[in-house]
Amino acid sequence: MEFQAHQIKDIIKINYRYTMGGQSKFFIELMNNKKLLGTKCTKCGKTWMPPRINCSECYEPAEWIEMKQTGTIDISTIVWYTTSAFIKAIPYAIGFIRLDGADTSMLQGIFSESLIPSKVKKGKKVRAVFQKEREGKMTDFFFVPEDEYESWIIKSEYEGGSE
Amino acid sequence: MEKVAIIGIGITPFKARYLDKTYFELAYDATKLALEDANKQGAEIAHNDLQSTVYGIYNELFERQFMPDIFINSYIGMINKPGTRIATGGATGGYTVRMAYAEVASGLSDLCLCLGVEKCNDCYDVQTGTTTPEVLNAIAYSADMTYEYPMGMMAASSYVSMVNAHFEEFGNPTEEQMALVSVKNHGNAINNPKAQSPMRITVEDVMNSRIICYPFKMLDCCLYSEASAALILANEEKVKELKVENPIWISGVGAANTDCFIGNREDMGRLYSNIYAAKVAYKMAGLDYDKIKEQIDVAELHDAFSGQEVISYEELGFVPFGEGGKWIEEGGPMIDGELPCCPCGGLIGCGHAVGATGIMSTGEAALQIRGDAGKHQVKIEKGRAVAHSIGGPGAAYAAIIIMENEEAR
Ligand SMILES: [Zn+2]
Repeated sequence: MEFQAHQIKDIIKINYRYTMGGQSKFFIELMNNKKLLGTKCTKCGKTWMPPRINCSECYEPAEWIEMKQTGTIDISTIVWYTTSAFIKAIPYAIGFIRLDGADTSMLQGIFSESLIPSKVKKGKKVRAVFQKEREGKMTDFFFVPEDEYESWIIKSEYEGGSE
Repeated sequence: MEKVAIIGIGITPFKARYLDKTYFELAYDATKLALEDANKQGAEIAHNDLQSTVYGIYNELFERQFMPDIFINSYIGMINKPGTRIATGGATGGYTVRMAYAEVASGLSDLCLCLGVEKCNDCYDVQTGTTTPEVLNAIAYSADMTYEYPMGMMAASSYVSMVNAHFEEFGNPTEEQMALVSVKNHGNAINNPKAQSPMRITVEDVMNSRIICYPFKMLDCCLYSEASAALILANEEKVKELKVENPIWISGVGAANTDCFIGNREDMGRLYSNIYAAKVAYKMAGLDYDKIKEQIDVAELHDAFSGQEVISYEELGFVPFGEGGKWIEEGGPMIDGELPCCPCGGLIGCGHAVGATGIMSTGEAALQIRGDAGKHQVKIEKGRAVAHSIGGPGAAYAAIIIMENEEAR
């Protein structure tokens, strides 16, 4: 007799109230003041962005510092097929951005009027643009090519950062 | 430390989906196949003779079960014996071999089962009515949840970042050079009856396939797969006692976890874990990083994405940095080339059943130097093989296994 498979529908879902712990200040300043805070090691001076309150290299504390909101694309890609959580957003560009003065680079979305590889290439200067409605999450901001900055911050849902 | 040999190898077919098997039923099948293989080598053992298990299972969300190993432990009749699970992303298989090696080398077990399984395609995305986006989402939870997951990071965009950075630095691999990996591995899979994606294709076919993550195209990427793979490991005394005919000795194991944040790395175009794991494994096996290509017959690499296989040629020491693309253009890693890479088809040809994959690669490399690889057998002269596993956020985990046959010993 032919094999008959039985399948059931199911879903795994967990609710959280996840604490950002020692990183909380980064998200609070982002949400309330549109500031991007990194940290600087009190011993070796390395600037961590995304921030960590301890230096993983020296085992010494790192102090909060306000970062510039301009930086350079270290590497990027344009995503055309993705996970169920993001598939409605395709195509989108993401890249590792080195904020001016930082020793590490952070992953962020790169928005552009024309989403082509040359627009989001390594070495391109970018600047942070913020959501008007912020929740203290990474999605509160994104980067745009510096020459497109003015045209993004006049859109109703976005605004420029703190100077 | 005890010497450790692979005395039994069991690999189930890699398939898009097994509707007729759960993950623990698949794990049972691979265990049974490995026992049968050991017995073909003269061992005369049954599951009751195995003293411990090391389980390789990557993702709880695939299995819909957060401690899948203990349910396998019951189903394969290993109750009241030690069992430990390893979960290190795409490198789960290789790492599981390493820990099973340690189980025997340390003297804790004389006979150990190294068992990997994954069954991903029960995940289902209701909005698109397809499987893959939900599989990718289950994997994406392995990314850093605070800073990187919210940006839409996933496996392909993580690997492509490193490949793009490598290209910026070396002008290599080009899209055409990456496509050659896909042509090779889909082609090699034609001679592997257990492979999911055997295909005779051209560079043009790869270039014309749909874009996934610039510049990776559909045919540059492996498919997620369901399968199980098992190895039976024994110490030297047990090999002699059981009169095993063709033991394959594990002569080197190496592993390293590099920084999972690509943005923290000195050079973003490096999969540093590869370099460190390879150097440790080669040294242990008495081989040289700079001459490794001349010292081994075959390599089963972790080609989750074509461009990453090219970078691995360089990082595993087969060719100098920046020359991986040129090497495949010249035919170096082809099945009849100077060092065949992924003769079984690798992940691109076989599919990627994450926890099982690195154990399959190790088993395939062992079968090659045992002379039992069937229609995809390559020429064996030195009696040594390399198996490679890599994965996790930013390809942070890597494990390398070196094996040799009796003649090489
Ligand atoms: Zn420091």
